[in-house]
Amino acid sequence: MSDKKIWHVIALSLILVMLTAACAPEPVVETVIVPEEVEVEKEVAPTMKACFIYVGPIGDYGWTHAHNEGRLYVEEQFDWLETAYAESVVEADVDRFLDRFVVEEACDVVFTTSFGFMDGTLAAAQKYPDTLFFHCSGFMRAPNLGNYMADFYQVYYLNGLMAGALSQTGKIGYVGAHPIPEVVRHINAFTLGVQEVNPDATVDVRWLFSWYDPAAAREASEALIAAGVDTLAFTEDSPAVVEVGQEYTEAGTPIYTFSHYSPMGDFGPDSAVSGQLVDWGIIYEDVLMKAYLGVYDNSNLQDIDYWYLMREGGAILGARFDEPINPIFEDDLKAVTVTDAFLGEISVYDLIFTRIDQMKDPAMLFDPFSGPIYDQDGNLMIEAGQRASYGELLSIDWFVEGNIGSIPR
Amino acid sequence: MQFILSALRAAIPAGTPLLFGTLGEVYTERSGVLNLGIEGMMIMGSVTAFGVAHTTGNVWLAILLAALAGGLLALLHAFASITLKVNQVVSGLAITMLGLGVSGMMGKRYIGQPLDAGFTAVDIPLLSDIPIFGPLLFQFDPLVYLAILLVPLLWFVLYRTRWGLSLRSVGESPATADALGVNVVAVRYGAVFFGGLLAGVGGAYLSVVYAPAWIEGMTAGAGWIVIALTIFAMWDPLRALLGAYLFGGVRVLQYRLQPLGISPNLLAMLPFIFTILVLVASAGEAMRRRIGAPAALMQPYTREER
Repeated sequence: MSDKKIWHVIALSLILVMLTAACAPEPVVETVIVPEEVEVEKEVAPTMKACFIYVGPIGDYGWTHAHNEGRLYVEEQFDWLETAYAESVVEADVDRFLDRFVVEEACDVVFTTSFGFMDGTLAAAQKYPDTLFFHCSGFMRAPNLGNYMADFYQVYYLNGLMAGALSQTGKIGYVGAHPIPEVVRHINAFTLGVQEVNPDATVDVRWLFSWYDPAAAREASEALIAAGVDTLAFTEDSPAVVEVGQEYTEAGTPIYTFSHYSPMGDFGPDSAVSGQLVDWGIIYEDVLMKAYLGVYDNSNLQDIDYWYLMREGGAILGARFDEPINPIFEDDLKAVTVTDAFLGEISVYDLIFTRIDQMKDPAMLFDPFSGPIYDQDGNLMIEAGQRASYGELLSIDWFVEGNIGSIPR
Repeated sequence: MQFILSALRAAIPAGTPLLFGTLGEVYTERSGVLNLGIEGMMIMGSVTAFGVAHTTGNVWLAILLAALAGGLLALLHAFASITLKVNQVVSGLAITMLGLGVSGMMGKRYIGQPLDAGFTAVDIPLLSDIPIFGPLLFQFDPLVYLAILLVPLLWFVLYRTRWGLSLRSVGESPATADALGVNVVAVRYGAVFFGGLLAGVGGAYLSVVYAPAWIEGMTAGAGWIVIALTIFAMWDPLRALLGAYLFGGVRVLQYRLQPLGISPNLLAMLPFIFTILVLVASAGEAMRRRIGAPAALMQPYTREER
C-alpha cells in the first residue's frame, strides 16, 4: 500500500471507532450458560430456560447488576431452571441477540431489560410466537409479550422529603441519565418530596445522555456543586455521584447524596443519606413460576403488567438493604418538622415512616402524585383529589413546580 | 470568574488520564507503530490499580503494577505488529477487546467495593498560598503533577537527545535508521512498551483517583479519545498537554453550560470535530509532513525489503 492509502485507512478506521465509541462503550458480550445436571431417570422433570438481555455490563453496580442479581436469585430458587444472558448489548443490536437466544439457545422465556429494546422485543415476539417475552420498562403488547417494571417514584418521593429537610442552601441537584418519562417521573417525585418539606427549595437537573458514564456523572455532580447545590440525587448506573458527595464531605463541604439502584452506602458513609433499592428477583420468581406452571402461555401475556412499587416489595428505601436511613442523619431529620393537613405537626423522620406505611397499605392510602400538582409554568396538571394514572405516569414529560431544570426535546 | 476558575480546576483532573495516554501514544506512533489497543491497556491499568490498592492499601504500588499491566499488554501488540508484522489496526482492536473482557473478569470481586486508600492533594509551597488562584490551581494529587512534569521531560528527550532522534528516525524512515546502526526492532518495542506503561497509569488514575471505584468498562471510550488526541496534538508532547486539558475542559463544560441551553451533545462533539479537521487537513502529503505525522506509521519494517 502506498503512504497515502495507508493514511486513508487510518483516517477511516479512526472515524469509525470514534463513531462506535460515541454511540456506546465497546460492547463486550459473553454468554454464560449454566447447565443443570439432569439425572437420567424414568421421569425427567421438565426444565425451562430463561434468557436475559442486558443493556450494560453486569458489573455496572446499577441497573444491569441489579437485574443480574435477580437472575442469580431465581436460578437458586428453581432447580428446573436454566439461565443464559448477554450483557452490554447495544440497543440497536438487540435483534441479533433475540434471534440467537430463541433459535440457538432455545430459550423458553426471554427477558429484555432496557427501554430501548422495546421495538426489537415486539418484533421478535411476532416472529417467534411460541416463545414468551417479557420487556422491562416499556408498553408494547402482544399475546406472548408481557411488561414488567419495579418503579422507584415512591422511594424518590421519600428521598425528596429527606433532601428538603437536610439541604442548607435550598438548592438541590439531580443528575439524570436520559430525558425519558421514567427519569422525569423520578425527578418529579423527588421534587414533590422536597417541596413538601421546603416549598422554597429548588431542584436543578443536569442530563448525561448516557445510562453509564462514571466520569460524566462526576463532572455533572461537580458542575451542580459549583452552582451552589448541597444535596444530590441521581438516576444513572454508577456510584459516581455518591463518591463525589463523600469526597466533598470529607474535605469539609457536606454534600448529602441519595444512592441509586444498588446498595451504595459504603461509597458514601458520611454522605449517603438514603437511596433506592430494587428487588427484581421477586418479579422474575413470579413470572417464571407462573410460566412453568402454565399460568402464562403464549396467548395470555397481552395484559400482563408487573408494576412493582413499595407495596409489592419491588422498590425498597435505603442506601443499604437493612438500613432505610443512614443513622447519622436521623437526629437532623427528627429536628425538622412539617405541618400536614391530616397528620398535623410531624417530624420529617416520622413523616417518612408514616408515608411508607400508607404506601405499603393494600389500599395504597397515599401516593406522591396526588393533586393539586402544577407544572413549572404554574399550569394545573393534576387536579385536587386526583391521582396520576398509570398511563400518565408512564408518559410524563413535564417537570413539576419547584424544578428549575429543563427537558431537552 | 469563579465559574471559569472552578471549571479550570475540574478540567485538569478530567484531562489527566487522557494526558498520560496521549504522551504514551505520541511516543508509540513516533516509532511508526499505531496502537489502537490503548482503551484495553487503560482498562487493564484501572482494574490492576484498583485491585492492588484495595488489597494492599499502597497506591504507589498500585500505579506501578498498573503501568506494568498496560506495558505487558503493549508488548503483545509489539510482538504482533513488529515481529509478526500483522495489521496494526487489527491487532490493536483485538487488544482493546481483550483488555475490556479480561478486566471485566478480573474485576468481578471489586464491584461495589469502596476504596479506602487514595492520594492526598499536595500543596505546592508558595504557589498554593496565592489567593484565589493558589487553591484552585496548585492543590492537586501527585499524579497530576507527575503528568505535567512528564511533558517537558518527554519533549526534551524526543527533540534534544540521541534517543529521541533514534525514535523519530525509526518512525520516519526505518531503513535509513537501520543503515545508520539504529536497532529498529528494539526502538519500536521500547516505544510501544513505554506507551503501554503510560496508558496503564492513565487507567489507574481513573479507578484510584478520579472515580475512585472499579466499574466495568469504566474507561468508557477514553482510549479512543487518546488516539484522536494524538493526532490533534500532531505527535508533540507539548501540544498533548494543551489538547488533553482542552478535551478535559470540554467534558467539564458540557454539564456547566447545560442550564444556558447549550446542548451537551454539541460540546461532546467538539473534540472529535477538531480531530476530523486535523485528519482532513493532513490528508495531503505536504500537509502531513508539516504537521509531523511519522512517515512510516503503520509500516512494518523488514530489512532489505523495498
